[in-house]
Amino acid sequence: MTAVLVIEDDDRIRLALLLALEEEGYAAYGAATAEEGLRRQRDSPADHVLVDLMLPGLDGFECIRRLRRDDDVPIVVVSARDDTHDIVAALEAGADDYVVKPVAIKELSARLRALRRRGRVVAAAVPAQVFGELEISAEAGEVRRAGRPVAVTRTEFRLLCELAEHAGRVLSRQQLLRRVWGYETGDERLVDVHVGRLRQKIEPDPGNPRHLVTLRGLGYKLQR
Amino acid sequence: MTRLGLRARVTAAFAVGALLLAAVMALFSYDLTRRSLLEERERTAVRAAYYDAAVVRSGLDTGTPDVVAVLRSLDTGSSRRPLLHLRDGWYARTADVGAGSVPAELQRLVAAGQPAVQRVRLDGQPTLLVGVPLAGELGYYELTSLREVEETFQVVGLALTAVAIMVAGAGAALGWYATRHSVRPLTAVADAAERIAAGDFATRLDPTTDPDLTRLSTSFNHMVDQLVRRIERDRRFAADVSHELRSPLQTLAAAASVLTRRREHQDERTATAAGLVADEVTRFQRLVDDLIQLARTEQPAHRDTVDVAALARAACRERSLPESLVEVAEGTPGRWRVDRRRVEQILLNLLDNAVRYGGGPVAVRLGMRDGIGVLDVDDDGPGVPAADREVIFDRFVRGRAAHARAGTDGTGLGLALVAQHAAAHGGHAAVVDRDRGARFRVELPGAGG
Repeated sequence: MTAVLVIEDDDRIRLALLLALEEEGYAAYGAATAEEGLRRQRDSPADHVLVDLMLPGLDGFECIRRLRRDDDVPIVVVSARDDTHDIVAALEAGADDYVVKPVAIKELSARLRALRRRGRVVAAAVPAQVFGELEISAEAGEVRRAGRPVAVTRTEFRLLCELAEHAGRVLSRQQLLRRVWGYETGDERLVDVHVGRLRQKIEPDPGNPRHLVTLRGLGYKLQR
Repeated sequence: MTRLGLRARVTAAFAVGALLLAAVMALFSYDLTRRSLLEERERTAVRAAYYDAAVVRSGLDTGTPDVVAVLRSLDTGSSRRPLLHLRDGWYARTADVGAGSVPAELQRLVAAGQPAVQRVRLDGQPTLLVGVPLAGELGYYELTSLREVEETFQVVGLALTAVAIMVAGAGAALGWYATRHSVRPLTAVADAAERIAAGDFATRLDPTTDPDLTRLSTSFNHMVDQLVRRIERDRRFAADVSHELRSPLQTLAAAASVLTRRREHQDERTATAAGLVADEVTRFQRLVDDLIQLARTEQPAHRDTVDVAALARAACRERSLPESLVEVAEGTPGRWRVDRRRVEQILLNLLDNAVRYGGGPVAVRLGMRDGIGVLDVDDDGPGVPAADREVIFDRFVRGRAAHARAGTDGTGLGLALVAQHAAAHGGHAAVVDRDRGARFRVELPGAGG
C-alpha cells in the first residue's frame, strides 16, 4: 500500500485529508509540525509527502529543503497561498508539484498517481546517452557528470530522460507538462523551476547552460 | 431650455462687451462730428445771412425799392433761400417759402431786434433758419438746406455702425480664441477621466503646468487616488475573504469525498444528504477559485508566445471533449502574443458554459484579423436572447437558459472572468448572432504581436 505523509498544522484539515486519502486506498500518516514530519519520514519513510507551507516552527520551505537533503521522495505542496513567489520558492526548495487549497481529493489522488508513474523506469531498452561529460542511463536510473553520480529527484530524472529521448529537438513547456507530469493543462512554472534545478546539478555553469538550453517562446532542448 | 456652454457664454460676453464699447465710442464720435459740422455750417450761414441782410438793407435804401429785384440780386446760390419780412408783407424769390416757414416765436425775436438761429424742418427737409433784424423793417431770414450735412451724418453713422459691428465680431472671435486656451485644461481633465474610466488607474493630471489650475488638478488627482484606493480595498477584501475560505473548504472537500466514497454504507436519506453536501462543496470550491481569479484579473496581461490551437485542444481534452472541435481558420498564425493562463481560462470557461447551458460545444474556432486574435465557441443550445447578451458577462448573472436548468453547478462568475481576461488584453467578449445556438466570441487585440 502506498504510504502518504501529511504535514499540516491545522488539525481538522489534517484529519479530513487522512480520512480521504485512506478512502482512496493510501496508508496515510499525519504530522502537525515540520519537525515531527521530518522525524517520521526518517524513521519510517512514506512514498509521498504532502506539505503545507505555513507551519509553526520550521516552515514548509525549510521542511522541503531538509526532506530533499537525503531523500528523493515525491513532495507535493498543499497550500492556501497562490502567489507566484511562494510557488516558485517551494518548487525551488525541491517540491515536485504544487496544488492550491482547496484541492479536490480526486485531483490530489491523480497527481499522486502521476508522481508514482514518474518513479518507474522509463524504458528499459533505451541505451545510456552521453552529452559531453554528462551521462544518462535510463535503465540504471542514473545520471553521472564527469563519472560521478548526480543525485536527482524522480521528477528531475524523468524530465531529463524525456529531453534526452528527444535530444537535439525542442520540447514545449506544455509538451513537457504532459509527458512528465501528466497534465493536460497546467502551470508552466513547474517546468521552468525543474529545468532550473536540473541545470544546477548537470551544467558546469548553470547561469550559462551548454546542454539544457532554452529556446525563447518555444521550450527547452537537450543538446550535446 | 438647455444652458449654453461655457465657451459660448464667454464668447457672447466678449461680443456684447465689444459691441457696447464700440457703440459708445461710435455714438460719442458721431455726436462730436455732428455737433462740430453743424456749428461750422451755422457760422457760415449766419455770416452769409448778415452779409445778405446788409445787401438787402442797402437795396431797400434806394428810395423806390423793387424788393423782388433786390432779392434776385442776392448771390445766394441754390442752397440759401432768402425771405424778407417787410411791414407790408413777406417777400421771397420762390413761392414755396413765406410767413408759414418761420415760427412765430422767431418772428417775434427778430422783430424785437434780436438775431436768431433755429433748425426747422421745411417740406420734410432739415433746414437752418437764420433771422437777422433789419433796421426799420421786420426782419431778414435765410433758409439754408442742411440736406448735404444730413447725408454726411448718415454716411458717418453707417460707417460707425459697421465699425461697431465689426468690433463686436472681433470681440467674439477673441473670446472664442481666448476660451480655447482656458478650456484646454478642462479637455485634459476630460481625457484623463476617460482614460481612468477605461481602466487606466495610473492616469494623473500634471499639477505643475498652470498655477491657476493647480487646485483643479490636485483635487482631481486626489479623487482618483481615493477611488483607486477604494477599488483596491474592495478587491483585496474579496481576495482576503476567498483566501480565508480556502482552509475550511479543504477540510470540507476532503470530508465530502469520504462521504461520497462511503455511499454504499449509508442509508438512502444519509446518502442523499451526503450527495448534496459533496455537490455544494464542489460548487463552493469553484466559486472561491473564481473569486480569487477575478480579484487577480485586475492585473495587466502577461503576454507570452502561445500556441493557441494546442492550448484549445488541451482545453478540450481537459474537459473530455473531442479535439476535433478545434477549427483553425486558414492563414491564422500558429503562435499568438497572449497571456497563456488567461486564454486557457477563457477557453475552459467558455467550454464549461457551452456544456452547462448550451447543449455542449459544437466548434471552437480560432482566427486572426488585423492582428486581433478571434476566439469563437459555438454551442447547440437555445441561444442567448438579445436582452441578456450584455448582462450575462456581469458577475453573478446567469441567463434564462441557466434559470431554466435549475440546480446547475455554475458559479455565475465564469463569463465575467472571460470578459475580464479579454479586457486585460484590451479586447472584449460578446455573444454574436448565429443561425442556431449561441456563439461566444472573444477578441484579443495585440495577439498578432
